[in-house]
Amino acid sequence: MAAIAEPMIRLERISKRFGEAPAVDDVSIGIARGEFFSMLGPSGCGKTTTLRMIAGFEEPTTGRVLLDGEDVTLVSARHRNVNMVFQDYALFPHMSVAENVGFGLKLKRVPRNEARSRIEEMLAVVRLEGLGERRPAELSGGQRQRVALARALVNRPAALLLDEPLGALDLKLRREMQLELKRIQKTTETTFVYVTHDQEEALTMSDRIAVMDGGRVQQLADPKTLYERPDTSFVADFIGTSNALALSVDRREGELAIMEPGPGVRVAVAAPAAVGETLQISIRPEKISIVAGGDGDGGDCRVDGVAVERVYLGSVSQTVVELPGGERLAVHELNDDDVSSIEPGDAVTLSWPARHSLVVGEEGGR
Amino acid sequence: MESATIPAPAPRRPRAHRWLRPLAFLGTPTALLLVLFLGPMLVMLGVAFDRGLLDGGQGAFNLTLTNFSDVITDPLYREVAVTTFEIATAAMLAQLLVAVPLAYVIAFKAGRWQLPILLFLVLADELNPMVRIYAWRMLLGREGLINEGLMRIGITDQPIDALLFSQFAVTLVLATSYITYTVIPIYGAMKAIDANVFEAARDLGAGWWTTTRRVLLPLIAPGIFVSLLLVYIPLFTDFASPALVGGTSGYMLGNVVNDLVLESGDLNRGAAMSIIMLVLSALFALVAYRLARINRLES
Repeated sequence: MAAIAEPMIRLERISKRFGEAPAVDDVSIGIARGEFFSMLGPSGCGKTTTLRMIAGFEEPTTGRVLLDGEDVTLVSARHRNVNMVFQDYALFPHMSVAENVGFGLKLKRVPRNEARSRIEEMLAVVRLEGLGERRPAELSGGQRQRVALARALVNRPAALLLDEPLGALDLKLRREMQLELKRIQKTTETTFVYVTHDQEEALTMSDRIAVMDGGRVQQLADPKTLYERPDTSFVADFIGTSNALALSVDRREGELAIMEPGPGVRVAVAAPAAVGETLQISIRPEKISIVAGGDGDGGDCRVDGVAVERVYLGSVSQTVVELPGGERLAVHELNDDDVSSIEPGDAVTLSWPARHSLVVGEEGGR
Repeated sequence: MESATIPAPAPRRPRAHRWLRPLAFLGTPTALLLVLFLGPMLVMLGVAFDRGLLDGGQGAFNLTLTNFSDVITDPLYREVAVTTFEIATAAMLAQLLVAVPLAYVIAFKAGRWQLPILLFLVLADELNPMVRIYAWRMLLGREGLINEGLMRIGITDQPIDALLFSQFAVTLVLATSYITYTVIPIYGAMKAIDANVFEAARDLGAGWWTTTRRVLLPLIAPGIFVSLLLVYIPLFTDFASPALVGGTSGYMLGNVVNDLVLESGDLNRGAAMSIIMLVLSALFALVAYRLARINRLES
């Protein structure tokens, strides 16, 4: 028998319909023990509904939810060994921090002494030592976030479910908390299921990410694969800057399909596409090199165009280039000493190796 | 040099105006209150403490507590006070038992029906109290709808007399008369709650009763105290409902004052009784207010 470790959480073909509209449509996911797993997508993509089905707040219309090998589809949230961190924390405002954290332990009738030491221990893990007597109203947003984490983690759940927990924090604090969450996850060795619409957040923390849209999982992979090898134009768009061209294959050169829609445009891609087929090609902005018109060295892909916009973004400069056919590509240049001095209106040449041409869809899939 | 030492005094004048303006606005209503409220109160105090004040001036300014001792030591009034306490407390508890779940449904479950239900509650309160009380008499009487219905389906073959002219009838009528003022403050307190805390409680293992006891009730306590202030005190002093549906067993302190003053013309004792009730109400209000404030400080 194959010794495949049973995932901590397994969703088997779950769907959820509210009235006619499917919010979640035939989703199957396995989440490993101790994994930091994210569900990423725009609002309304079904990620929160999926999370709530794991938590037990929603019952799937069809399909099963398994927790540590046990079917919990019909078990209420009360009796599931998972805990949730809510978007706006949902702390109990009339209780102190320690009472908030101890709420679950008290209900489970954990002896008073043990409960006290577990609360202390958990407050230390989230770095809130000494604040146990405070009320939530006396804490900052980041501190409340930590209380919400401690309140859930103190129960030693099989998995911690987080519903956009950093949404209410400002950018700097959010970055800090991302690292903090990762550290807490490592310290407590807990499975984290994290829901977010922020791709950066998901890429920073996750072991694996399920990108969702329209109630379905579009792609499930580790962050690097999602970014470097998106399966669909939706994933390419959602993770990173949108930079897509729809081109039809003109001829083949060995492994490469070559597209030459007009003079000064040559795009190559390593794909088994037949001549005449239309491909959706996506190129990451930082993989493209840009030089003033005509100077381009002969890469696999070479495109002439006109710079129409240049924006300084801090570590990089973004140039938007319009191609002869009217398509636009964004290009990122690192702002080091070699950064070009291209201005809007300049003729430019873009080039990139064929391996950075990503096929994200076929037959004008857009 | 001189011109530099003389600052423009202009900014001072508007400040004086600003100080005066609210006083000007408050002046008229304050004066009205003094004349129409404080005046009669003073007369009542005089009548209660000074038996001679009404006897054409003879023996006036002989301060006495006999009016109070008469009222307090009368065993009949003591009995009525107990009845009043029972009825008012039963009506208050009944209202809270209905109001908390009702407010919860309106605040969290009603969705687009939230406003219509609130409007209905307000309209129910706008109904003329006399009309409402007579409607109850039609329902509860010997030949009322309820007795007729019970006899027709054979639960009883004699009309139940205890439905009307009883403590039960007064409690029922009072509870339904004040329900709007019990629900709305509690509803207000609930609207301030982030509904996620209920899910959080469930997530941490709490059932509905634990959630109600340890999360919902503490959070709506200020609203409940406001309801008590608005409703419990008037329940003690109401006299129209007991007079019309109470009979002899639903006789309340409000009726005592009414009868002393209007029936027997005993203004002295009527005033004394009113003052006793006023002081007790004030004490109760003070306690409820303190409790509400303590609670707010802690949350």
